[in-house]
Amino acid sequence: MSAQGNGAVRFDGAADNRRSGGVSKETINAIVVFALSIVLILGSRFVSPALGSWSQVLTVLTLASFLIVVSFGQGLVVMIGGLDLSIPAVITLGGVLTAGWVGAGNAGAWYLLPAILALCGLVGAFNGFGVTVLRIPPFIMTMATSIILASAALGYTSGTPRGASPEALTVLMKTSWLGVPAVVFFVVLFVLAGWALQSRTVFGRRLYAVGANPDAARVAGVSVGAASTLAYVASAVCAGFVGMMLVGYANGATLRMGDSYMLPSIAAVVIGGSSILGGSGSFVGTVGGAILLTTLGTVIAAIGLEQGWRTVIEGGIIVAALFFLREELFARLRRPGRS
Amino acid sequence: MSAVGTVHEGAGSRRGGIGRALTGGAAIVTLLYLVLYLLYALWEPRALSAYTFTSLVNNSAPLAIAAAGETLVVLSRGFDLSVAGVISLTNVFMAVWPLEGPGGALLSLLGCCAIGAVVGAVNGWLVAVLRLQTIAATLGTMIVCQGLALVVLDAPGGTVADWVSYELTDSLFGIVPIAGLVVLAVALVWLVLLRTNTGVGLYAVGADEQAAMLSGVSVRRIRFVAFMGAGILYGVAGFMLSAQTATGNPNAGAPLLMLVFAAVALGGTSLSGGRGGMIGSIVGAGTLMLLQKVLFSGGVSSFYTGIFQGFVLIAAILFGRAVPRLFGNGAQR
Repeated sequence: MSAQGNGAVRFDGAADNRRSGGVSKETINAIVVFALSIVLILGSRFVSPALGSWSQVLTVLTLASFLIVVSFGQGLVVMIGGLDLSIPAVITLGGVLTAGWVGAGNAGAWYLLPAILALCGLVGAFNGFGVTVLRIPPFIMTMATSIILASAALGYTSGTPRGASPEALTVLMKTSWLGVPAVVFFVVLFVLAGWALQSRTVFGRRLYAVGANPDAARVAGVSVGAASTLAYVASAVCAGFVGMMLVGYANGATLRMGDSYMLPSIAAVVIGGSSILGGSGSFVGTVGGAILLTTLGTVIAAIGLEQGWRTVIEGGIIVAALFFLREELFARLRRPGRS
Repeated sequence: MSAVGTVHEGAGSRRGGIGRALTGGAAIVTLLYLVLYLLYALWEPRALSAYTFTSLVNNSAPLAIAAAGETLVVLSRGFDLSVAGVISLTNVFMAVWPLEGPGGALLSLLGCCAIGAVVGAVNGWLVAVLRLQTIAATLGTMIVCQGLALVVLDAPGGTVADWVSYELTDSLFGIVPIAGLVVLAVALVWLVLLRTNTGVGLYAVGADEQAAMLSGVSVRRIRFVAFMGAGILYGVAGFMLSAQTATGNPNAGAPLLMLVFAAVALGGTSLSGGRGGMIGSIVGAGTLMLLQKVLFSGGVSSFYTGIFQGFVLIAAILFGRAVPRLFGNGAQR
């Protein structure tokens, strides 16, 4: 799982496979994931007549917006062969500070919100420092950060976060323009910007290079440490922003508000077609993964099963999605002649 | 520090063989444990009493056994998130169907092991046969198990059999904690496993899958055995946790997930596979739990325990890497 060293050398073979057919595989994967979401939404009409409507689509997109933003950050880190387990703790940090420092109204929001995001970015820089300079495996480094932050947030709030949502965030999360929630417009812009950053900028190409083979990237003149650290910073800033969005949505912060995003953020990236080993994947696929997971959640919730069975189905679907999206299957699709 | 250097280091430690891999990490974390215990005894004179020691071992046993199981998977270069699911599932199993007496306890233990074995076999099948990514596949099985736990028991409640919750948290002759004996048994099984082909294969697959395959190791079988063994140990961990808490909670395993990986890493097992061992993970788990007690007796609010756990984890990794270099292994760079 290490971004540097052993991992890359051991997985040279795998990395080669991925590069040879990368783009086409990722495109197919993204299309499949989006198609599945659409089929699921249309099919949900059979479950309940209230489903499958335009308003349900908007609900799904609103709920998916949180996951899309965190998964962008997680995707960048997975891209370089890392993993960010500190996301839930940073979401909580962003939320707790937003509710606590800014609170209801808009007083000071214009400088406090950016300051909170910068603080979250510092947490990401700490992760990046540990992984690139101290060479601690990403899994452990971000886990340690997560444990530290969660404990700090617990101590800071003495167990009960206070405060309410700033007006600016309430506007973003609760108002609609032309019948479409404002946050949906925001997420569309975010996806476009994220896609451009990841696939159309030098920074994005460098992340692919670092993930595919850090040694080769270094030889090619990429500053591996700086690129990797920036990925962790971006991930933490995204997580901190989701904390703010959640405060706007729920009008308050809790200490566990981030917990339900850690595993889905990884699942969205993997279902979206990225290899957990790095060097492959596209943000569009990840967005599809996030929408698919959220659609599933709402459809399953509507079936009216008890919580336990809903969870069982959710888990089963993740495994099934992985099974149908695995690389061998794509290899066979592309070259029907070879078995 | 260049990446090329890292590669050499990896190769060097593999040459060092299993013996060094076993002792290296475990020795450091054992030292850490003893230092912490000394601090604990200085601040809290009762620390040396049999009662305090027994309660410490009781607290640590579930995490230690779960971390021991996780070690099997991590050594073979994988991650197993299903540990949280299996512990939750076995915990509600114990609370909803309590079986009294020693016979009942044995039956419960077998049931827990069976649950773990089934989940482990599913994981093994997904990873070894279908070749899914370990972290993603076990994420799926973990969620399924959490769901099943909720189906069995939808809110915390139920009571674990008295015999289990009293006898297993007791101590033999007033000095040897029963929970410690269970952990010891796990450690002994591990030491036996090390002498078998499977044990050697575990390290080979984790260090270099291709090389292992070329030298005739059945990678598929090793992966499967690792997940299955891990599942059984999670079952035992769930059994011991139930003895400790005496009640059921469908989310019992979730708080342990991160701590399990922290214990494995603290114990000197490389999270990229091939290096480390179960003994280190067990002592690592003990260290994390002891740290809580030490901080509490040192007057640190329990809110801030995590800050220390996090930094100890980072420090242990850095220290564990620095020590072998001090003793001459650094010559190769």
